[in-house]
Amino acid sequence: MKRLFLFVMLLALIFTAVQCGGAAPAPVQEKAKEAAADVKEAAEGAADQAKEAVDQAQETVKEAAADAQQAAEETAADVKEAVEEAVATEEPAATEEPAAEAAMTGEETVVTIGYTASKTGAQEVPSRGQTHGLELWLEQVNQDGVTLADGTVVKFQAVTYDDESAKERVQSLYTTLVEQDGANFLISPYSSGLTDAAAVIAETYSKIMITTGAASDETYQKGLTLVYQLYTPASRYLTGAIDLLGSLNPDAKKIAFVYENAKFSTDVVDAAQKYAESKGYEVVLSEGYDSETTDFAPFINKIAAAEPDAVMGGGHFNDGSTFARQLHEKQTSVEFLALLVAPPELDFAELGDAALGVVGPSQWEPQANYTPEAAEAAGVEWYGPTVADFVSAYEAKFGEEPAYHAAGGYASGLVLQQAIETAGSTEPAAVQAALDGMNLMTFYGTVKFNTTPESHGLQEAHEMVYVQWQKDDGGNLVKQVVWPVEGQSAEPIYPLAQVP
Amino acid sequence: MSSSKPAPADKALNRGGFNLEAIKLGGWKYPAFWLALGLVLIGGFVPVITGTNTWRETMFLILMAVSLASSLNIILGYTGYVSFGHIVFFGLGGYVGFYLIAVHGWSLWLAAPVGGLAAGILALLLGKAILHLRGAYFALATIGINEAVRTFVNNFDLFGGPVGLELNFLVYKDYGGPAAMQWSTYWAVFGLTLIIVVLSYGIKFSRFGLGLLAIREDEEAAMVMGVRTPSAKTWAYVLSAIVPGMLGVIFFFRNSSIAPPEAFRLHRSIEFIVMVMLGGQGTVLGPLVGATTYEALRSFLLTSPLFKDLQLAFAGLLLLLIVLFVPTGIVGWLRSRFRSLWRILE
Repeated sequence: MKRLFLFVMLLALIFTAVQCGGAAPAPVQEKAKEAAADVKEAAEGAADQAKEAVDQAQETVKEAAADAQQAAEETAADVKEAVEEAVATEEPAATEEPAAEAAMTGEETVVTIGYTASKTGAQEVPSRGQTHGLELWLEQVNQDGVTLADGTVVKFQAVTYDDESAKERVQSLYTTLVEQDGANFLISPYSSGLTDAAAVIAETYSKIMITTGAASDETYQKGLTLVYQLYTPASRYLTGAIDLLGSLNPDAKKIAFVYENAKFSTDVVDAAQKYAESKGYEVVLSEGYDSETTDFAPFINKIAAAEPDAVMGGGHFNDGSTFARQLHEKQTSVEFLALLVAPPELDFAELGDAALGVVGPSQWEPQANYTPEAAEAAGVEWYGPTVADFVSAYEAKFGEEPAYHAAGGYASGLVLQQAIETAGSTEPAAVQAALDGMNLMTFYGTVKFNTTPESHGLQEAHEMVYVQWQKDDGGNLVKQVVWPVEGQSAEPIYPLAQVP
Repeated sequence: MSSSKPAPADKALNRGGFNLEAIKLGGWKYPAFWLALGLVLIGGFVPVITGTNTWRETMFLILMAVSLASSLNIILGYTGYVSFGHIVFFGLGGYVGFYLIAVHGWSLWLAAPVGGLAAGILALLLGKAILHLRGAYFALATIGINEAVRTFVNNFDLFGGPVGLELNFLVYKDYGGPAAMQWSTYWAVFGLTLIIVVLSYGIKFSRFGLGLLAIREDEEAAMVMGVRTPSAKTWAYVLSAIVPGMLGVIFFFRNSSIAPPEAFRLHRSIEFIVMVMLGGQGTVLGPLVGATTYEALRSFLLTSPLFKDLQLAFAGLLLLLIVLFVPTGIVGWLRSRFRSLWRILE
């Protein structure tokens, strides 16, 4: 007992020591940060001076131009010195180098984009789509680069590592990206859990991070300032399905929710239930199932007993498609079925008749109705390629139709590109301001970020589209967009003819 | 091998308690102790010497792996019980601590020991229930427990159920901002690694540790010789759970969120077993060498331009070679090869 007590005392002692020890390196860090800030300021000042000098040179006669050039050279030398100093003092400052270079040469600068991808592990498939999208954007943007107001051409390069779909190394890898690889901007990993970990590093180093594939609302409601979400948040994943149901059958009253007991689906269903209740629906069943469930009979029996007008839920591909198949096999009378994640995947068609009529939310579809005209009608700016251009370029490069993960990946680069262009600079503060003020339509849809301190960066404008599997004239299953009305590629089937 | 002077009576042994007397009485003289401690100290100060945060992050992962592997070594290497689901202590401790920080606003420095305590209590209760199982049955039971706890947390509303818990970013302000927080959590993990290395050494050269080694070799014989096997095993299990519990709190605090799949990832458990086997189970230095080699290798492969797409295949091949040709682990191999190193490599 005495020894145990001693051991506990020892633990307490070390922890106190650690607390004191932990405080000690902080000033060093702060100092380095201050130094970095000073250098940055100096570089910014020099950049402004150089820009002024260049402007002057263009306007005035040769003599003045010569002076200006001299001034520019001087300031350039200053910047170079500052940069060298920055490299010598502390690593984080080194990442300012390309930005400073931009001012220095007035010609071409390379911006580094850092991200991790899940090349192995559970998230491999969706993450690969995301990476493909980003790679396509990189290839296209580098054909001409982005020309800034001062004539600098910005080109992009990407550095990426495998995060193995696991949290352990995410922070270490993002630190490497920022510090060692000099990433100027970051893109999120796939999934909200990994993005949470990466966001801490982004904020630590004051790097802007565009997130894609990270739908959870909570990530953006915890005081972050530099993280921007492209996906429609989880809380709005199924609300459109409820609106669709209302438009199809105003008399529908009862909804059953059967969903995977995991973070994403629970987030979605919690919000959808609240929304349904606010619209006057009655939630007659709310059941979570384990991720590995293969037999849905108990849930289907409960659904049959509750006699709902609609069934919503699901989680990921395997469980969702099994659920849909078993509902069909058991000939359950379901008039409306909306499932997460599985229906937008092309593999869902392998279910045959069981897939017919199933509705699913998607961040984006190739049939999406986003055009420059639509942007004009909505009074927002249009930017980037058209939907058709994106789809054909993607198919040419990767030989498959892009899914929404790929569109999200491409859009993350595109949004950053537009922000840099608007800001006319690669300075983080200017780009941040451009992102805060962004109200844009691209092939991927509308993009506008929340700018309140409570949920800064949360996606506000982007809307889900809802697909439904239907049969074409030849009897083949095809995916059609049925909601929102403006984007419809076909009339929705309702009610589902599942009972023979 | 142990202290020259016998410990006062056989109290420690009979109660199954552990003692640090080996160190007090003569363990200090062993070069092996200083070697292990020196390695951790040198490693721990690498980020300060190089002054880069990339190194700090690498060393954070390595130190975490070292302390988790060393903890596991107490039950796996010394006692010979394969705790396959050892990650359950990391996850549960992490959850308890994270809950206290995120929901009740506790300080990390208070929540981490409580997380460790929670893991220790779980190990105590489990030890009473499953440590009478032998061999594969025990290993299977520990896997089952990890899954059971994960499912429980998944349905436990207080811990956020399947959604998990999130930490407000502003909490880091109390620790001097995120950059300072990353340093202080690093020093905390460094401190815990030192503790577990000293503890590993202390246990190995105590009567309690000898009892554990006896259990590993032949449990019946140990019992006949007077080792109270049930309590000795239980205490070994508890000791191997406390540090992982504390590390869980620190790790998830640093990552600002926690959810069941990432807290109870069985895959991690297996990695720790590999680390212990790679270095040499049952030695103090083994988990240290094994965990460092494994982590450094993985980090290097992940970020090297040449191997980053092949890193898993490369790591797998290397492990296969080691298991095939050096089954006793690196330290075990060195010991059998060079007898003169016996006093240095423990």
